[in-house]
Amino acid sequence: MSDIEEGPLVEFSDLEVSYGPLQALAGVSGAFAAGATGLLGPNGAGKTTFLKTLLGFLRPDRGRLSAFGLDPVRQPLEVRRRVGYMPEVDCHMAGMTAAAFVAFAGELSGMPRSDAISRAHEVLYYVGLGEARYRTLETYSTGMKQRVKLAQALVHDPDLLLLDEPTNGLDPAGRQEMLALIRDVSERRRMSLILCSHLLRDVEEVCGSVIVFNQGKLAAAGRIGDLTGPRRSVYEVRVKGDAAAFLTDLKDEGCEWREAEDSYRVFLAGGAGPELIFRIAGRCGVQVRHLRPGTESLEDVFLRALGHETVAS
Amino acid sequence: MPIYEQTYRRYEARGPLRRVRFWPITREALRLLLERKAFLLLLVAAWAPFLVRLIQVYVVTRFPEAGRVLPVDGRLFGQFLNGQLVFTLFLSIFGGAGLVANDLRTGAILVYLSRPLTRRDYVLGKLGVLLLLNLSATLAPGFVLYGAALGLAPDQFAAWDLAWIGPAVALHSLVVSGVVSVVALAVSSLSRSARVAGLGFFGLMAGLEVASGIVGGIFRSPGSTLLSVQASLRAIGNALFGIAERGAPLHWIYPASVLALVAAGCLLVLRARVRAVEVVR
Repeated sequence: MSDIEEGPLVEFSDLEVSYGPLQALAGVSGAFAAGATGLLGPNGAGKTTFLKTLLGFLRPDRGRLSAFGLDPVRQPLEVRRRVGYMPEVDCHMAGMTAAAFVAFAGELSGMPRSDAISRAHEVLYYVGLGEARYRTLETYSTGMKQRVKLAQALVHDPDLLLLDEPTNGLDPAGRQEMLALIRDVSERRRMSLILCSHLLRDVEEVCGSVIVFNQGKLAAAGRIGDLTGPRRSVYEVRVKGDAAAFLTDLKDEGCEWREAEDSYRVFLAGGAGPELIFRIAGRCGVQVRHLRPGTESLEDVFLRALGHETVAS
Repeated sequence: MPIYEQTYRRYEARGPLRRVRFWPITREALRLLLERKAFLLLLVAAWAPFLVRLIQVYVVTRFPEAGRVLPVDGRLFGQFLNGQLVFTLFLSIFGGAGLVANDLRTGAILVYLSRPLTRRDYVLGKLGVLLLLNLSATLAPGFVLYGAALGLAPDQFAAWDLAWIGPAVALHSLVVSGVVSVVALAVSSLSRSARVAGLGFFGLMAGLEVASGIVGGIFRSPGSTLLSVQASLRAIGNALFGIAERGAPLHWIYPASVLALVAAGCLLVLRARVRAVEVVR
């Protein structure tokens, strides 16, 4: 075990990974620093491929990837013993109780049997399964299975936790509980983690920084605060009249916009204020029925990185 | 539900990587199997022929004239081990069909392979389960029977010219257990259902045995032995223990080569199927 280390835990440069003819990662470069980092992207963006390459399951076609300064291709066992992996898919062992399963996972990570057993009980209490730890895993609900997946990833006290869609299949309350656990692991236990998700809110709640993948490429990276800071003014606008002309004029003025539920999120460039919106509305003969200032959210950053802005549906 | 237990502590005792990493896999799978009473009964039943042979040895040593009907020599062990083949098949079906299939179905394969374990460790761990089960039905009773024969008839079995029996029992048990185990594990890796894998293994072994019998019946050729894994194993046993076969015997090198090829093929299947990442092309 080590405390959170200085410098990046995971570095990758010009990383290319393919499944046969299909290129899943196309020359991505970046780094995951210590702490909680989100790995965002739509389905098929290459997030899980990245995690599996990090674990040494896949061999890069090109480029370099290192975790804790180790090469996952040459030293996969050394990397894996310092990593806890919570897979996206269901993973339990038929016929085992949660206590036996987590202890077994600890032993597989190289812990002595007695240590693994005592750690399994501790970790199961920590994730809230203390009372249910002697039940077989087949009897667990989806939420409990997610918790036991987290417990097996934590049992050997990894330096880096890889969480692949940890809130999948959870109801809102279960999701909040899981995120609270992950936040606790990161903030109070000072464990570094990579939270891989397509749910922006999950990442926003837990992580300090984010890396966005899209179609196998790096679309954005940085601290969430920096990415969503007050760089652009954002307004939620609802208009009555010729919206198409209004939006075209907005674009001509260098602003960006995207459709929200029943309104538009308008991103003003160059320090412009709401008067620009009123001026354009007046020019186009549309009524502004609703105007509310906002801040650029991670979702905005994400969609901008994916090139979804200023594209009317 | 809030986080009501804050008992998580950092683990400070991380040691070096283990050299033997497969043993926890073998031990845990065996523990789960031996919790099933029906499986324990099967293990006990696999020792029934041992009792019959033990009585045979006892009777022949006490009443030597019975040796004309039931000869007690090296062939006894060959016949005993050939007979145990059927138990290795059943132990492999009920104990081995789910070994990889269940891990593929439940996703547990990721739990194994995301640990400091290689795919070889995983396969060795699972193979260890089947090997121990099958050796418990071949090597263990074979050695105990040999020990009993030495004790009951030292004049007959302690002779230098029968000293080969012990090593032959060990060799044949290892060949039978090794081949049956690796075939069962490979079949288990081909399905995500233990039931399908069990039926598949039974169908494969029984089907090849039937095909070998039919071909042998039609062509009267000893080469038909090579079609069946069991027949090839029996042929090796017969050669090792000097048991006469009907018709022209097949040199042991042929069934041995076929079995080596089968085992190599099964290892290739395992290499292809035991993966953390399934690539669908």
